[in-house]
Amino acid sequence: MTTRFIGIALLCAALPVAAQQDHAGHAPGRAAGVAWTAQPLLLPASGGRGERAAAVLRPSGIAAATLDVYGPVAGPQGARQTVAVDAAGARISSVTPKIGNYHWLVMREETPERVKVASTAWYFGNPGPSPTALLAEPKHELEIVPEPLPREHGSYRESEKWRFIVRLRGQPLAAQALTLETEFGSRSTFTTDAAGVATVLFPRDFKAEAKEGGHGRPSAGFVLSTEKESDGVRYLTAFNLNYGPDADRQRSLAWGAAFGLLGLLAASPLLRRRGQVVAGDADHA
Amino acid sequence: MLKTMFPTLGRFRLMVQLLMLFVTVYGSVFVGSYMADKLSNALPALSCAYDQMNGGYCVLIPTQHILHHRIGEALVRAQQLTLTMVLPLLFSLLTFFAFFFVLGKAFCGWVCPLGTVQEIVGKLGRRLGFGLRRLDGDGLPAARRARPVKWLLLLGLVFVLPLLTGLGVTPHALGNPYCDICPSRVATTLLTGNTEQLALRLGDGWSFALGAVGDFMLGFLLLGALAVRQPFCRICPLLAFNALFQRLSPLRLVKRKHDNCGKCRICSDACPMDIPEISSEDGRKAYAEDCTLCGRCVEYCPQDGSLQLKWGPLALFASSREYYKARAKGELPDGTVKPLKFVRPPRPAAKPDA
Repeated sequence: MTTRFIGIALLCAALPVAAQQDHAGHAPGRAAGVAWTAQPLLLPASGGRGERAAAVLRPSGIAAATLDVYGPVAGPQGARQTVAVDAAGARISSVTPKIGNYHWLVMREETPERVKVASTAWYFGNPGPSPTALLAEPKHELEIVPEPLPREHGSYRESEKWRFIVRLRGQPLAAQALTLETEFGSRSTFTTDAAGVATVLFPRDFKAEAKEGGHGRPSAGFVLSTEKESDGVRYLTAFNLNYGPDADRQRSLAWGAAFGLLGLLAASPLLRRRGQVVAGDADHA
Repeated sequence: MLKTMFPTLGRFRLMVQLLMLFVTVYGSVFVGSYMADKLSNALPALSCAYDQMNGGYCVLIPTQHILHHRIGEALVRAQQLTLTMVLPLLFSLLTFFAFFFVLGKAFCGWVCPLGTVQEIVGKLGRRLGFGLRRLDGDGLPAARRARPVKWLLLLGLVFVLPLLTGLGVTPHALGNPYCDICPSRVATTLLTGNTEQLALRLGDGWSFALGAVGDFMLGFLLLGALAVRQPFCRICPLLAFNALFQRLSPLRLVKRKHDNCGKCRICSDACPMDIPEISSEDGRKAYAEDCTLCGRCVEYCPQDGSLQLKWGPLALFASSREYYKARAKGELPDGTVKPLKFVRPPRPAAKPDA
């Protein structure tokens, strides 16, 4: 009996720790390695439930002293916050305290001949305005803009098509090549239409070794990149986030339909005709 | 014009229900992908966040998430119970009740997409002639016996389990257990052509079992609603949530006792929730916890002014004998529609041979 009690106590003590490890928060997710791409990335460097209101992002393939955080509404210092990048990365939080929803993050490495930009989106769990205005506002020269970002409870997933707008100084860029690379080694190129929109198909390439992202769901990194020369400057812009496996990899429609049918069967006795006048009919007709 | 389009309160309510079904299931098609984000703080509609096309948001989701992610986790970090922790929950509840202040429990009877789906199936059942099964027998009515279930679901699945999961006591799969068994999640996503929520999650016993319960309930209610009115509403925790403060809402059912009350029972027969108190009680007791403010009892009460739907001092709709007579001509109190009669015109009498 004592042994069982100790066992239960230990289990209870261990569960919160396990749950903390299990839950990465409402973050776009984690991507551990950068061996799969040479493009500039902004990668989550920390997780854990205790860090829901803040996050640390580390740059990969890009070097800069600061990171710009754009919020959905202006905070005390405006809608943009610039944070310093140290050895551990850049620690970000909501631009306006308690206002969450999507924030847009930009890191910029610049020389007279070349501008390299890494961008990503970060979801803070507090309520906040939708990112429509945030995405519409031009933030640097060459941009890759999701149209739209996944909603809460949604995410980019294998086999899905998502639209991205490529803009140069706020204007849509037609016939521009947009390259997708994924953590599992897929690489494909899409071209924007006249409205500057590229419809990107996420490849069905998930492997068993995928890491766990938010809510314990499998997650892997992807990056979209594009390059353009303008006014003698070479612009390279990348947008990275995470994507998940196709729903049918983890779910069984057959089992779902079977239980639905079981429910139908269980209700069928209710439909037996009883051969009696429904109470009230005679009274009220 | 309006009188022609909406000759009865029932027709008007059906149009509102269909409109809200469209908004809560397909709303984002018209107002953009982020509609749910915009409305999530203001419109706690039973149109879940799993549906990526909808224009609404169910208050049960933020409630579970706040208990799971905020309060439970903060307690794990051994912080004091501060306003920082409690405020998000309070704001969710406040926005819910701000909405509730306008609509009251009429949300259930006029807006809820699953309620509308069940009602449409029920109408089909009446058309097809399936015998209606009421949950009010002699003695203790079955409708009353089912009442505690919704409170247990609200307490256990919306409040307690998400909090325990946030504390780390129960597994992560029990973080939003009500959503996992909610048939509306499956129904509204199926209405958008998405079968993902019907499919069961594999690899985790809890998720599989909860999803199986949701699918089972959806199957049961889709067929059961042909014979039993609003089968799921009777155990829905959102009805319990609404009932928590129903006395505070200005929109309410008001009853003034008449000598015939408790004898004709037409109002109880008309009630899709089989509430016996509407006919047997008066005053506050007649406005029972299961009432969805659909207004059918008011429509089918033959006594002038005995039953009223009121918003504050305003009487929105009151019972009247004349209205009752006209209403009952087209549809019986239990929803049975009088059959269309195709009568052949009589042949002209044969002329006698000349």
